[in-house]
Amino acid sequence: MVEPWTIRNLAWALTTCLEVVLLCYLLGRNLFRRHPAFCFYIFATLLQSVSGAWASHHWGGQSMEFFNIAWGTQLVIICARWFAVIEIARRVLASHSGVWKLASTILFVLCLVILSYSVVIPRTRWYLSILSADRAVEFCIAAFIVALLLFARYYRLEMTHLERQLSIGFCLYSCSWVVSNTLYQGSAHPSGMWWEFFEILAFFATLVLWINAVRSPVQIPLPATIPRLSAERYAEVSQQLNERLNSLNERLNQLFRRGDARL
Amino acid sequence: MTLPLVLFLVFVLVIVLLLAWAARPPAISPLTPEQALEALSEERHYSRLPQILQSLREDDTEFMRERGHCALLRRLRAERKRIALRYLDDLEGEFRILLECSRILATLAPELGAKTEFDRFLQNLWFSWNCRYLRWRLRAGWEPWDVFGVLSDMAGTLTLQLEAATARLGERALLVTHPGLRPHDRSRDSQ
Repeated sequence: MVEPWTIRNLAWALTTCLEVVLLCYLLGRNLFRRHPAFCFYIFATLLQSVSGAWASHHWGGQSMEFFNIAWGTQLVIICARWFAVIEIARRVLASHSGVWKLASTILFVLCLVILSYSVVIPRTRWYLSILSADRAVEFCIAAFIVALLLFARYYRLEMTHLERQLSIGFCLYSCSWVVSNTLYQGSAHPSGMWWEFFEILAFFATLVLWINAVRSPVQIPLPATIPRLSAERYAEVSQQLNERLNSLNERLNQLFRRGDARL
Repeated sequence: MTLPLVLFLVFVLVIVLLLAWAARPPAISPLTPEQALEALSEERHYSRLPQILQSLREDDTEFMRERGHCALLRRLRAERKRIALRYLDDLEGEFRILLECSRILATLAPELGAKTEFDRFLQNLWFSWNCRYLRWRLRAGWEPWDVFGVLSDMAGTLTLQLEAATARLGERALLVTHPGLRPHDRSRDSQ
């Protein structure tokens, strides 16, 4: 029978290979100009894998040094992931200043509420506090992305295939973290190895999704597709809309009454 | 496993379901401002509403029953119901166009009011729900008076909101093109 640690190390090695492949695609397709934060995130995950392997080799997988390096780099990774997610949000929303202002306020409040709930409500054991904080941040990222997609859908904002796939990947990966952390904390005899293996698998699937998205032809939205009207056009459109809405309103007011219907 | 931990799993499930819904590419491409204006200017069938509502009233066809034309009565009512349903489709289509216009305005506007947007979102939900309810009532053979009234009020309110929004945009545009029209300038002029 194959040792579980061997399977985990194999999955880890495969994930690192995929990170390299994704980074090569990103650089080869010049996507680091359009998605610098995402490229940095992938680079950071690669560095985390290398530093984790090095620390594990030197001090062993159960040592305090390995623990510190693993969680220290995880902090950097989470920050990088946040930057990558905010970068996507800016690309989708920022060209519409009104929607961007409203959405950024709502998303900020949403994140605050979720962070407060995730940190304050569950009474976890003290040694699981890092996991709880990690879960809170991951939960926040997942909710942020879903809210962003809902905004984009509601206001019919343009979103490229790549941005959509990156968002889906981030969201599903964060959800898998929340699930695995919750199951780990909730189980009577938690096994850190299987929990870690599950997360590596989730990241593996996410990388496959992203590589697939990066490989497909990148659709760059033309500036003309973003509805931007000059001040004169604004005035013209507004006037036309006013006239037509006025006449529509009159007809609606006249006809959509029960009393009138009886005439 | 404690309740907060179970709730986490439930929230994740909700997030995944919402993601599956929100991440789908839109079925219809969004309208441009010009297309929205064109759609608004198209001829509608509002003038038929009184006749449709009148035709759905039971007393309008009761004389047929009294004279023993029951088969003809059923056929006539079925036909009128079909027309009412088609009218409802048109009404829904019109509301969708108004919503599209409001979205276009929102993407163009330099600032949005959270309350207005939320109200519009709720209106959208209620309108969709009422349309379904009305269809169900029509199919069940019940009189649809009250719901028609609600739908009409919603469409009217949305129109008024759009009007106010476009007026604000127009004012902003005027201020940009003619900075001298700012309120304090005007007050200075009047002195």
